[in-house]
Amino acid sequence: MSVGPVPRVWTASTMGTVASIRVITAGPTPAAVEPAVRACIAQLDADDRLFSPYRAESAVSRIRDGRMPLVDAGPRVGEVARACADARTATGGLFDAWRDGWFDPTGYVKGWAVEQATRRWLAPLVGGRGVIAVGLNVGGDMQLLTADDADWEWRVGIADPRLRGDVLTVLGIRGGAVATSGPAERGAHITDPRTGRPAVGLAGVTVVADDLTEADVWATAGVVAGPGDTAWAGRPSLRTVITVGADGTRRVWARGTPVTVGAAGPFTSARAAG
Amino acid sequence: MKKILYALLATVSGVVLLFSYRTSTGAEIPTSGTATHTAGTASGSTASGTASGSIASGTAAVKDGVYTGPAESNPYGQVQVRVTVSGGRVTAVNAPQYPSGNGRSQQISSVALPQLAAEALKAQSARIDMVSGATYTSTGYQQSLQQALDQAAR
Repeated sequence: MSVGPVPRVWTASTMGTVASIRVITAGPTPAAVEPAVRACIAQLDADDRLFSPYRAESAVSRIRDGRMPLVDAGPRVGEVARACADARTATGGLFDAWRDGWFDPTGYVKGWAVEQATRRWLAPLVGGRGVIAVGLNVGGDMQLLTADDADWEWRVGIADPRLRGDVLTVLGIRGGAVATSGPAERGAHITDPRTGRPAVGLAGVTVVADDLTEADVWATAGVVAGPGDTAWAGRPSLRTVITVGADGTRRVWARGTPVTVGAAGPFTSARAAG
Repeated sequence: MKKILYALLATVSGVVLLFSYRTSTGAEIPTSGTATHTAGTASGSTASGTASGSIASGTAAVKDGVYTGPAESNPYGQVQVRVTVSGGRVTAVNAPQYPSGNGRSQQISSVALPQLAAEALKAQSARIDMVSGATYTSTGYQQSLQQALDQAAR
């Protein structure tokens, strides 16, 4: 009896949520996988210790409290601070790590840290000794890879933001990242940094891009922009964009092109572009 | 009401997706634990040919029949899930044991269970590996479809 691709799953509590790591193999799991998974989780933990505003001794908390200047926080924090400034410019202020008057890179770090850990520890496994694909999903944001010669695609369900447990559609993705943002995040509204008021109008925004860092920034920016401002969805680097209105309206863009939703229903099947 | 729905969803999704994953990889359904299997009258389904590297959808070497999961306790009483496999796919999910101590519980069981079963079956037929949704906390993960998928793959 031939055995198809076998998934191995690890889960770990980290970054205030749960990480799911999935490694798809064509045969027995190579010895290199388990240590790589552990190192990946350890890196997420280390970034959480560095960046979490909920930890009193994190660099971010010490910067916020004035106990440490940003320049003394080390290269990793410096890299994130520069990237947040760039993201603020690129999104026209829709994404702003300084929206609350102090440096809170949480919205950037959650995508960036996952992408970094995946690329450093899981990507090297792919294509070697029967590893077909790897994926890391932390709190609903994920970075996925598949070996070039493998007949495999990740099947990613997009949760219905208005109905817990239901799935809007399933995207087929070989490599890339999926991020979803919405007011349900951590139970609080997402604040529009330009007005200080809660962003309303969209129940959820999902972005597929090559890099989770970018997908995450634009999913957040998209929620802030709201249903009336969707020009950002035309960015060519965003492979697929799905928005769900608070009223249930669903819109889809593929490579910047709006896709007409079919009469048979809001989604029949949708493939991620690219 | 929420507690019952979440407990039932985890139970139903976990059991249904457990069977769907075992089905799609062609492996045996685990018979350890207190789950029991009653052989069905239909003959077993044949394994579909699969190209290496792809996951079969639906049919695989799984015996048709009725599988009953262990009874689980939640604050409202006992919940037990029974899954029917026919043609290698899950075709029905029932709760032979369900808290029915009061009118509210019976109302939930007659409405919520069929809907939750339908949602779990929908996720199964879609063959989902990962779920993207607005960031969940650790508590949110426990009630999520991702958790059911992770559990099913173990």
